[in-house]
Amino acid sequence: MSYLELTRLSKMYGAHPAVKDVNLSVAKGLLVCLLGPSGCGKTTTLRLIAGFVEPSEGEIRVGGRMVSSPERSEPPERRNMSMIFQSYALWPHMTVFENVAYGLRLRKMSREDIVRRVEAILDVAKLKALASRYPGELSGGQQQRVSLARALVVEPETLLLDEPLSNLDANLREEMRFEIRRLHDQYRYTTVYVTHDQSEAMTTADLIVVMNQGRIEQAGSPEDIYKRPRSEFVAHFIGGANVLKGDRLSGDVVDVGGVVLRCGSGDFAAQGPTSVAIRHHDINLVTSAPAPGETNWVPGTVTRQVYLGSHRDYLVTLSNGDAIRTVTPADIAVPQGQAVWLHLPPEHCRALAH
Amino acid sequence: MSVSISLPMPARRGRIDLSRPIFIVLALVLGLLVILPLFWLAYYSILDQNGQFSLANFSALVTDPTLRRPFLTALGMALGVGALSCMTATPLAWLVARSDLPGRTAIRALVTASFVTPPFLGAIAWEILAAPNSGLINVAYRSLFGLEAYEYLVDIYTFTGLVFAIACYTFPYVFTLVVNALERVPSDLEDASSMLGGQLSTTLRRVTIPLVLPAILAGTMIAILQALTMFGSPAILALPAGFHVITTKIWSLFQYPPKPGLAAAAALPLLIVTVMLLWGQARILGRRGYTTLGGKNSDPRISKLGRWRWLAIAFVVAVLLLTVLLPYAALIKTALTRTVAEPLTWSSFTLHHVNFVFFEFSATKLALRNTFLLGFMTATIGTAIALVIAYLVTRRSVPGSQMLGYLATAPVAIPGIVLGVGLFLSYSNPNLMLYGTLWILLIAFLTIEMPAGYQQLSSAFKSVHPELEEASRILGGNRMTTLRLITAPLLRSNVIATWCFVFIGTIRELSATILLTTSETKLVSVIIYDLNESGDLGAISVLGIMLLVISFAVVIIANRLPVLGGQRLPIAR
Repeated sequence: MSYLELTRLSKMYGAHPAVKDVNLSVAKGLLVCLLGPSGCGKTTTLRLIAGFVEPSEGEIRVGGRMVSSPERSEPPERRNMSMIFQSYALWPHMTVFENVAYGLRLRKMSREDIVRRVEAILDVAKLKALASRYPGELSGGQQQRVSLARALVVEPETLLLDEPLSNLDANLREEMRFEIRRLHDQYRYTTVYVTHDQSEAMTTADLIVVMNQGRIEQAGSPEDIYKRPRSEFVAHFIGGANVLKGDRLSGDVVDVGGVVLRCGSGDFAAQGPTSVAIRHHDINLVTSAPAPGETNWVPGTVTRQVYLGSHRDYLVTLSNGDAIRTVTPADIAVPQGQAVWLHLPPEHCRALAH
Repeated sequence: MSVSISLPMPARRGRIDLSRPIFIVLALVLGLLVILPLFWLAYYSILDQNGQFSLANFSALVTDPTLRRPFLTALGMALGVGALSCMTATPLAWLVARSDLPGRTAIRALVTASFVTPPFLGAIAWEILAAPNSGLINVAYRSLFGLEAYEYLVDIYTFTGLVFAIACYTFPYVFTLVVNALERVPSDLEDASSMLGGQLSTTLRRVTIPLVLPAILAGTMIAILQALTMFGSPAILALPAGFHVITTKIWSLFQYPPKPGLAAAAALPLLIVTVMLLWGQARILGRRGYTTLGGKNSDPRISKLGRWRWLAIAFVVAVLLLTVLLPYAALIKTALTRTVAEPLTWSSFTLHHVNFVFFEFSATKLALRNTFLLGFMTATIGTAIALVIAYLVTRRSVPGSQMLGYLATAPVAIPGIVLGVGLFLSYSNPNLMLYGTLWILLIAFLTIEMPAGYQQLSSAFKSVHPELEEASRILGGNRMTTLRLITAPLLRSNVIATWCFVFIGTIRELSATILLTTSETKLVSVIIYDLNESGDLGAISVLGIMLLVISFAVVIIANRLPVLGGQRLPIAR
């Protein structure tokens, strides 16, 4: 049973579509990530859900109730949602306690009730000692947790997060990622999380929605998105893949510029252009020629090799001019200019129809 | 903690969105303030004495030398003021922003003080100091060298004297802009020049000066503009010297027999020159706003003055003596002695003028009441209107709200005296007779102060991140609740600063006031002007000092009182 439903949702700014014909349905209690490069429409989609932006076309339903349509859009304050902003948006003239209590005050709760609930949530967010501080006196991570506490104390049905971790340093980001997931599991609200960081999406989301140029490219579980990309964009954007353009010959065989590859999975075009995607680390690089008759072997020349500590990163140019990136264990060092053979195992080759 | 999704939704309040009606009302009010006077100005300028269409007024501007000459004099005066302001303010700004000169904070405070001084009061102070016969400097000069009574060292009643007296009160405009620009030039840009082998003087000439040149030019243009549109100082200094500038000429066209059509025609070229100057200034500042670009924020480079130190100190002391210290001293001395030429001693000390101003002179009480009533009303109403306009414009909540911003900024291009003529023509017809009431002055002051108030508040709104308001919306606050609980408290100190700014600007206004005031609606500034005509410098000094004390008090109170938002200024993210 879907809880949050976006139907044919579009938002135009002048003639430029920021969000174009987005259809999405999210079950109650799930954590969904909108993932994509900047300008892909993910933040606009979030702001449409929040009610800060009114749709040009399509509609949004929450729990079966229509909240947004071009004709009528409920204001944000009537949607029973909470949001975490990229800038945290903590009010500098209020203490941590007052910031967190704000939503409860607007709900006309009794003084004792407010104190009890705020103290409980500050406890959960490990902020109890900082209740009387002002936001200007907190570190970035603490501000982030206040912002979480302020959003959660009103017990929203839906929690929206707009790039919440982009202002934190790397260590803290990792920690907050799990914190967000832990709180989600504890309270079981429906969460929409906007990010451009694929590892953030992979570690937190139940459902990843990859967006590009205002459209949804693919939606699915993290495993689904990673293992079974359905477009070149998704293959590139998630986890890094080589995409070789080619034509389907027959069955599972694709010809990519003179090299014939068998593909273990994917969508094959009935006729004509089909690309093959393979992840960098799924390719084997060897210096000796394979036994004749073996499939999915490609000769090439190393044009760049970088030592990265845990592994080495190679750029290999094929005879047809295509460049393929691959990695090897750090102790295999093939110098630049040497001829090598690449094995692209069929089970890792994924066909992408155009 | 229990998990429940049963919290009540926020209380539903009146859902009527007031932004559109408010928008329409504001558009009408601004149209009334800005467009109506300009319309009547244009209308009257093309009518002859019999109410027929004619271009006679404009041809008179060109053919009649008594009209043409004031224009040329005013232009020459304004350019002179611009040059003098620029030449004084730029080195002073560099010394304050970039050298190891002692007492830089104090210098800055004193220059700001001359900002607060009404220019007409400065002109009167220089009258006390440098009138050829009674001027204190000339008296001292004669007694020092034992000269005859007709000998004098300086004469303020000349073209040069006028340029000097005005420049004393316009150079802070250049100074402030250049100091800010110098402080914003990232020091790594200069370090880069040094690394490439540039010496201090080379770096200054090739990097620093070009970077702040737009600020210097823009400041100079403001000084020129101020001089061109100023009424008080020329009226006090040029009329006794026997020449007119354009503003005084327009004023004289209102003396008996009044020629409003001619005055309207004479006002239009002034309006055009003003618009052109402002346009030029905006272009200079906008074209390559490069004082803010490039480089990282780092502390400005401080140069060691070394052996030039004493020369620099002499320069600064001279500037401050001439613009601030001597005039203030002259005013205080005149207020406390019976005649201007008398030195201030225990025996010559008298409270006669204080007594006269506050207890004997009948006009004072009415003028004080009018001045403060108008100051209070203008500041309160003006700030309120500017606040709502700034909100509508920065948050773009109503389509077309940008237009309100343009309307609110437009009066910056209308010189006070031109607005005075326009308002006189608009509100002195029998159908709508506001001339002779305080209302016409309120309208004038609201119009004059609107651009500054709007600019200050709209930059304040821009500094409040929209997400701060959205965070309140999503947690259940509607637009009004958000404005009340989040935006207003964040802007409190800006609102108070704007209020003070408008208040101080209002109580010192003279250019528009002089055409719109009658015996029933006298203001302190007008009384000072009247008393100058009758030569009562002692009473003027008392009134002038009072104006200054009140202005400074307002500034200080606004900055210090914690209740008014003086302390803990939160950094709006």
